[in-house]
Amino acid sequence: MASETTKPGDAAAAPADQKQQEPTKPTVLGEDDEFEDFPVDDWPENETEAVTQAASGGESSKHLWEESWDDDDTSDDFSAQLK
Amino acid sequence: MNELFDTFSKAHAAHNGYMIAQTLSPVPPANQPHMLSSVWQSANHQSVQGTIKHLMKKSTSESYQSSLDNNELNGWVEVYTAYWKAIGEILAGESGKSSWTKVYDAWKELTSMLIRGYNNHGFQAWTIPSLYMVGKYLRLFAIKSDEERSRNSGRPQAGTTIIQDDFDADADKQSQLRDCEQHLKRIFTLCLTDRAPLEESRKWGIYFVINLLFKTYFKLNSASLSRTILTSLKAFNDRGDMPPLESFPKSQRVTFKYYEGVLFFLEENYVQANKHLTEAWLLCPRSSKANIERILIYLIPCRLLTSHVLPTKKLLEPYPRLQELFLPIAQCIRRGDLRSFDLALQKGEDEFVKRRIYLTLERGRDIALRNLLRKVFVNGGFEEPKEGNAASVRRTRVPLAEFQTAISMGSGGETVDPDEVECLLANMIYKDLMKGYIARERGIIVLSKKGAFPGTGV
Repeated sequence: MASETTKPGDAAAAPADQKQQEPTKPTVLGEDDEFEDFPVDDWPENETEAVTQAASGGESSKHLWEESWDDDDTSDDFSAQLK
Repeated sequence: MNELFDTFSKAHAAHNGYMIAQTLSPVPPANQPHMLSSVWQSANHQSVQGTIKHLMKKSTSESYQSSLDNNELNGWVEVYTAYWKAIGEILAGESGKSSWTKVYDAWKELTSMLIRGYNNHGFQAWTIPSLYMVGKYLRLFAIKSDEERSRNSGRPQAGTTIIQDDFDADADKQSQLRDCEQHLKRIFTLCLTDRAPLEESRKWGIYFVINLLFKTYFKLNSASLSRTILTSLKAFNDRGDMPPLESFPKSQRVTFKYYEGVLFFLEENYVQANKHLTEAWLLCPRSSKANIERILIYLIPCRLLTSHVLPTKKLLEPYPRLQELFLPIAQCIRRGDLRSFDLALQKGEDEFVKRRIYLTLERGRDIALRNLLRKVFVNGGFEEPKEGNAASVRRTRVPLAEFQTAISMGSGGETVDPDEVECLLANMIYKDLMKGYIARERGIIVLSKKGAFPGTGV
């Protein structure tokens, strides 16, 4: 987090800066998957992913995940090769 | 310093825990950047305790009606004295006259005084946000102190010391964070074992502290120790001696579910991991892109294995980093392209290992293979209808040679040995990704008429 020259006195600035810089910083081992503190303690239901997803098209989870196979890809080349 | 205790007495009168916590912040408020130095300058080492006691008595008696009894007052005096000393180290550090290690030690003393306040001076449960404030920075200062030490020891003066340094390098590198863990554990116990009625219990602090401990264990590369915390917590939950998670603020719930999910993920319990990570994801605020991204990094490999689904472009659209991580590999899985899958996995290896998802993604190769074999089956078309109006039935007797050709194509053109093909097919059948049996002597695979590839519609 801190640069080589950071002194304890930067404590004031450091934790706040960390939060803002983190998304753009290059990955550091083990550091990057640390969950960030949220800027607020709580938020209304309608700001959650669940509600936003539901609002943007009903059964929206269908638009976000898809089956892992592809039925349209049975190319002629593939069937020709099999024979 | 007057101002500090004015805020304290207001907060105490209103039972406002977050306001009290603010008076213990090592970071000055944005609109008062010199707050810390003005606090520091209004006392000196000889008389600090007396000064604080005097100021605290004055402001609480002026603006505060109900009683702050002498015992509690003395407890807070100890806390603010320790706070004042810690501020001193932080300010000294600004001019290079202190170190993070000293800051950490001073902050640790503050932590101890605060814990003592609850144990011996009757601090009330509504003040627990001050534990959050102190605990949060204890961990940050421990990390700073460890970093500082490894920077300094990174320049060995004499070659002879190197070997000795290496010997317990890992244990030593994070010794402050390990020490910090002990103190966070004390806060954990302080909250967990409070016997006061729930409405005025320190139990309301439990998830905040647990989240701090989770972050600490993960950073110490000892994620599995989080399990012992969860076990203690479960005992209380099971006998209804803990408020339900749903009644805690969402920030604490999301963070808790994230770590619980990742813990299950690392234990390769993908069904449970999926459940907890999904909860975290759905509860996360839309605006917290960085945290959603962290959740998805584990949720995507998880769902690949539990429900064989892949993220759509729409899901990944806001996250270029996730696209980079997952789109190439997802495409290979969908196409059943084994060779490109191996290459994509190899290409992303460093990144995948770093994020602890390599081994999980590797198991996605089975799904790629399943998709390839499924293509052979679909391509085989339907049996000649025996009677005019019979429902069409897919060709379920597939020559081994067709699978061999497909697997050879999928492996980049090199011919794959028939024995190896049989082995791969047997494996698929064993894993329930394919239903049927190998008729070896006839060189064919007999697939199930009802769902040869379970869950895929054929």
